[in-house]
This record gives sequence, C-alpha cells and structure tokens, in this order.
Amino acid sequence: MMPDMSQVGEAETKEWVPDKTAPVVMFDNVSKQYGRINALTGISVALSGGVTGVLGMNGAGKSTLFKLVMGKIKPSGGVVKLFGQDPWKNTAPYARVGFVSENEKMHDWMTALDFITTFARLHGLTRYEAQKEATRVLNFVGLGDVMLKQIGRYSKGMRQRVKIAHALVNDPELIILDEPLQGCDPLTRTSVMNVIRELGRMGRTVLVSSHILHEIERITEQIITLHNGRLLALGNSHAIREMLDQHPPKISIMCADPKALAKDVIDIDEVRGLSIPSENNLVIETQHFGVVHAKLPGIIVDNSHNVWGIDNPDDDLESILHYLTGGS
Amino acid sequence: MNSVWSKLDRKATAIAEFTIRQYRTRISTWVVLGVGLGSMLLVALFYADAMNTKIEARDNDQDSYDWDQDGYPTGQEILHGTDPYDSASYPVGVDPDPREKWIDEDDFNWDDASFASISKVGYDDDGDCRREGQLVSDSQKDYNGDSIPCNIVLIYSNYSDYLIISSDGNVDEDPDDEKYGKEALHRAFILGVGKMGIVYLLGIFLPLFLATGLIRDEMTNGTMHFMIAKPITRGEILFYRMLGYLGIVWPFLIALCLLMSLVTGFLGPSESFFRFSDLGIWFTICIAAMLVTLVYGALFSTFGILWKQGVVLAIIFAAWELGMAFVSILAGGDSAILKFSVIGWGLMIVDAGAALTWPDLAMFIEMGEWGGGNNNCQWGTDGDDCGSLIGSGPLRFFSSGHGLGVSDWMAVLIASLVLMIQAAAAWFIGQSLFKGKEMDD
Repeated sequence: MMPDMSQVGEAETKEWVPDKTAPVVMFDNVSKQYGRINALTGISVALSGGVTGVLGMNGAGKSTLFKLVMGKIKPSGGVVKLFGQDPWKNTAPYARVGFVSENEKMHDWMTALDFITTFARLHGLTRYEAQKEATRVLNFVGLGDVMLKQIGRYSKGMRQRVKIAHALVNDPELIILDEPLQGCDPLTRTSVMNVIRELGRMGRTVLVSSHILHEIERITEQIITLHNGRLLALGNSHAIREMLDQHPPKISIMCADPKALAKDVIDIDEVRGLSIPSENNLVIETQHFGVVHAKLPGIIVDNSHNVWGIDNPDDDLESILHYLTGGS
Repeated sequence: MNSVWSKLDRKATAIAEFTIRQYRTRISTWVVLGVGLGSMLLVALFYADAMNTKIEARDNDQDSYDWDQDGYPTGQEILHGTDPYDSASYPVGVDPDPREKWIDEDDFNWDDASFASISKVGYDDDGDCRREGQLVSDSQKDYNGDSIPCNIVLIYSNYSDYLIISSDGNVDEDPDDEKYGKEALHRAFILGVGKMGIVYLLGIFLPLFLATGLIRDEMTNGTMHFMIAKPITRGEILFYRMLGYLGIVWPFLIALCLLMSLVTGFLGPSESFFRFSDLGIWFTICIAAMLVTLVYGALFSTFGILWKQGVVLAIIFAAWELGMAFVSILAGGDSAILKFSVIGWGLMIVDAGAALTWPDLAMFIEMGEWGGGNNNCQWGTDGDDCGSLIGSGPLRFFSSGHGLGVSDWMAVLIASLVLMIQAAAAWFIGQSLFKGKEMDD
C-alpha cells in the first residue's frame, strides 16, 4: 500500500450509532481499581462498526480500557462484553479480535513471516494456511519484501506494522490498537493511519488510542475522550476543531542548528509560527499538520540538516480536556 | 479434516515448536545442557579410570604367608597336614607353591543362590575344608550344622528382608577381589550417577533453569499479550509450553542415558563385548529422570506464575528434595516421608529397576560385606567392615529397596503413576493461577 503523502486525513467512517442490542464491545458501568487508585470509573459505552478514537493523556485509562476488552484484566465493577461474551472468562471471542499492544517488546529472534505464521496457527490454521495468511497480511502492511528478515533488525515503524499484521492475521471484525503511532516516524505514521482508515472502510470495528488529538482527528471523527478514568462525551467534533484553531498543532524538531532550519521551513506556506525554545529545538506551529509533515523530510534532506528527532508535543491536549470538563 | 481435535493439535504444535525454538535462541539453554553433558562426561572419565585400575588382590584368609619360613605358604601346609608354624614340618617331596597361588584361591561359588528361604551354596575350591586331618575338625567342617560338610547355608527372611550367611569353615573364604570389586563398583557407579547425577541433579537443575520462566519470562518481557490475545485458554498455553520444554529436556535426557549406557556397557566388567543386561537399569533411570523433570517442570513453571521471584520458591523446594534424596539413599525407599516428595518416587523407580536388572543385587551386597567370612581387623586401624570386599560399601550406599511392598514391576508402575498425578496436579494449580492472573504489562 502506498503511503498517503497528502496527509489530508479523509476518514470515511460510518455514522456512529451506539447499538445496545448486539454491540461488538459493550461497557456497562465498568470500573477498575488498582489498590486504591481508580483507573476507570463508571464507563458505559457500546461500539459497533467504524473507527473510534480513544483520546486521553498518559494514565487516563486508555490501556486499561483495552485490557478489559481483551480479558487481560478483570473489571472491579460493571460488565464488559465482547461480542456478547465476558472476555475475562471466555477466550472464544478472541477469534474475532485483533489486538495491538502498546508494549514495544517483540520476539526479535524470529523473522516477521515466522512470527506471524506461528501465531496464526493459534487460530487453528494449518502450517500452510497460516503461512499464506501471514504473507497476505504482511503484504497488506507493506512488509512483503522484508518479511524474511529478523524482527530485531527492523526499524520502529516496521515493528509497529508487524504488530498490526499480527493482529490482522485472523481477518478480525474488531481491531484494537493501543497507541499505534507512538514513536513512529512521519512516514510510518502515515502508512499506519492509512491502514487504520482502510480497515474502517472495510467495515471493521476499529478502536485506536492516542494521546495526540491531531493524530486521532486525522484518523476518525468518532472520538471518545478519557480523562482521569472517566468518559467525557464529545457531542461532535466541531468542538475539537474550534479548540484546534485556538491551539494549533505543533511539531517539535530536535536538530543541530534550529535557526538555519527555521529559515528553510518558513518558506512553507502552511507554517503559522516558529519558535526556538532551546538551543537544539525548533517548534513549528501549523494548521496543516499533514502538509508540513509531508514537506519536512524533503527540506531536511535537501539542505542536509542534522536532525535527530521529530515529535508532536501534546501539551495542548491538557487545555482542551480542561475545556471539555467545564474548566473544573 | 477440520475437527476440534485437529485445531487443538495445530495450536499445540505451534506453541510447542515456538517454545523449542525460543529455547534454542537462548544461550542459557545451551549452558545448562552443556554443563549437564560435561559433568556426565567427567564422571564417565572417573568411571573409565576405575574400570582400568586393577583392584589389589587381598589375601582375605591370610594363608599365603609363610610364618615358619620353610618356603611353603600356610595354605599349602594346611592342605598337606604339616604345621605352618614349625619350620621343621613341611610337605616332603612337594615343590613349594608361589605365594600368589594362595591369594584369591577360593572364590564364591554361589550360582545356586536364590531368595528361597534357605539355599545351600559354596564349594571349597582350595580343598582346605574338605581335607582329612586334625587341623580341621568335623565340627568346623559342618559349622552350620546342615549335615553337609563344607558348604554355605543362606537363610533369607522374606518378612524382614534379611539375609543370614552361615558358612562352614574355610569355604569360599578367599574370594577374587578384582572380580567382585569391579562388578560392585560398576553397579555402584550406575546407581550413584543414575540416582544422584541424572535423576536428582539434572532432574532439578534442568527444570530450575528451563521451566521456571516458561510463563514468567513472557510476562516480564511483555510478549505474553501476543499469545493470550488468541482464542486459546491459558491452561492450554501452559500445557503446550510444557510440551515445548519437554521437547528440549526429554531428548537430552534420553541421549544422555544412552551415552552413559554405552560407556558403562563397553567398559564395564563383562564376558562379552557389551553388557546388554544393564540396558534395563539405564532404561529405568531414563524413565525416572523424564518423569521427575515433568513434575518439576510443571511445579517450577507454576512457581513462576505465582510469583515474579518464583525461582526462589523453586530453590527452596529443590533443597527439600535434596534432603529427600538423601533420605531415600541412606534410609531406603520405605521411609514414609518420601511419599511427600517427588524425588522419593523417582528414586523408587530406579531402585525397582536395579532389582529387576540385577536380581542378585541384595545378595551380591551381602556377599561382598561377608567377604569370605574372615574378620581380619587390625585393632584400632580398621573399621567394622574390614572383612568386606572393595566395592561393597559404595554399592550398599547407593542401593536401596523401593520399599513399596509390591513386586518390582508393580513398583515401577505405581511410582510412575504417582509422578504423573503429581505433574497433573501441578499443572492444574498452575493453570488456575494463570487464569486468575491479570496481565498488566
């Protein structure tokens, strides 16, 4: 699949209508405590079809929510249903689910093909069927030509895509991705986002979490926000768009000579503001996040800038959440 | 063919295969297996050395000495009725024997021995009992009072498992030390290395290093989620991972037992080129080691699930098992406390196997300790067993009865069954702990 260089984020998701009758995922007044810490409180939500973004800062309870769906942990209160069954007690519904953990550890000694094939066999496939399926999903995530290499020699973005391929191997109806964009370079970000959108288009239910509003916003319009373990209902995404105007997305670049880079970057029309908060850091403000991200690599390479990190700081999320919680 | 069973089978082979490959990529696996093999080869070297060292022939009845310095050894003088303590008295017209002829000159003739309550064995090879004359009185000739002169009566009590050796004077009193010693050391080596080396030490250390992390390592590495996100229960994961562990450990044990059986088979005392009869004992050692590693594997992986530092629990348990191994070896298999151990049942299999391989084992030990019935202890320098033959001590130490009060075959069967039940119980506890475990990585 070719990465979407335009980065326009045309999320084509279905209208989100919570279907209480037979939802793929259902939370009914679910809470989870770790000792005396409330990780989740009173979560009630039902999801079916389309891409749903789960937004929240680190520690907001996104991973806890997903672990509950995957039956990795047991709810302290309330009912979790996955395809109408309790995922903590019954592993059968996992046959229809693909899960991408935020954990970055992998079986580095295996080749991607081996890894996917081995775990595909846990769905009851024969060795041959599993290999065929593995090849299919690895091609789908764009790793077809390197699938015989050891995972340990992959870049971060490739590893992320192997994890996604692992989740897709059973052709699942529900795909859960926990922070799939974390640590990815811009190019991988784009291709991962495209994969997610593509899955949504294919009619799958996708749950994707992020702590970066701009990322989520480009993947889907259907967003639920978690804050301190509570669900904040979002009426529509216009509120977010308004907030986005007030808090333009930022791109933080760690480089040797931010001033020189600033001179080259200022030529991009979409750049709204530039600042140099520290000696080796250039921060770009822009309303057109994707366009800038697409143009950046070319500028950096053409002018041979020494860059060692590109990041999207999420300090704006906090103010948005503050706004959403009614300023309390 | 796409039944539930074939799907189960696919999952099992996938995880077992994965586990084996995972072991192969770890250096620790090769270190543990290498140390195991190396130490076995080392003891095999000691064994080869012992088998090639001549055991000094002892004059058990001390009749090779020429007390009166007339050139005739004591044994020859007694045979001819002359006085061994008088230099003027010696057999006239007979060439004096070399001293060596009167060492090891009256070996065991116990082939008719059995565990019937009474069996009569022994033959006076050197003729110093059968000889007519004043030095050996009639009462000495039939000391055991069975009306047959110059034989040995073995009284075996089935009830107390006790053998009484009642010998007439000068019968089988100077046995072949080399012949007995080699056989005894050979058997003692197999039992010692089999019980302590393979069944206990390898049986504990292989699972300690290979099984404790079977589930725990995946949990701490944070790679468990790949497996538990699949439609497979956690009990299955533990079971199939165990299969992978056994896929490494069992072939290793089988190869090791085979290797050691070849070493002892070719180097051991034998009339043919290979001691085929010993394959039985090595077979039971192998079975015992396999079952013991199965139980420890299930137990230690359960410890790993239970606690992050599960290896600590495993080491504590290993210490208990070491104690039980010594109880089994020193006090025998009938100690009641052994029923609460794993190793106790494992060693029972070997003990029963020894009894099956060497039906004469108990008698063979008694035979060596009796050693011709001589008590030539030097006051203050020799121990109580100074009359016994070389090799009987170690063999006594390493062999014990299985103590189950059933036939040897039955004992192998029962002990194997108990070990399998123990393994199943450990797995059951492990999988229920695993099921209740929240994966919070």
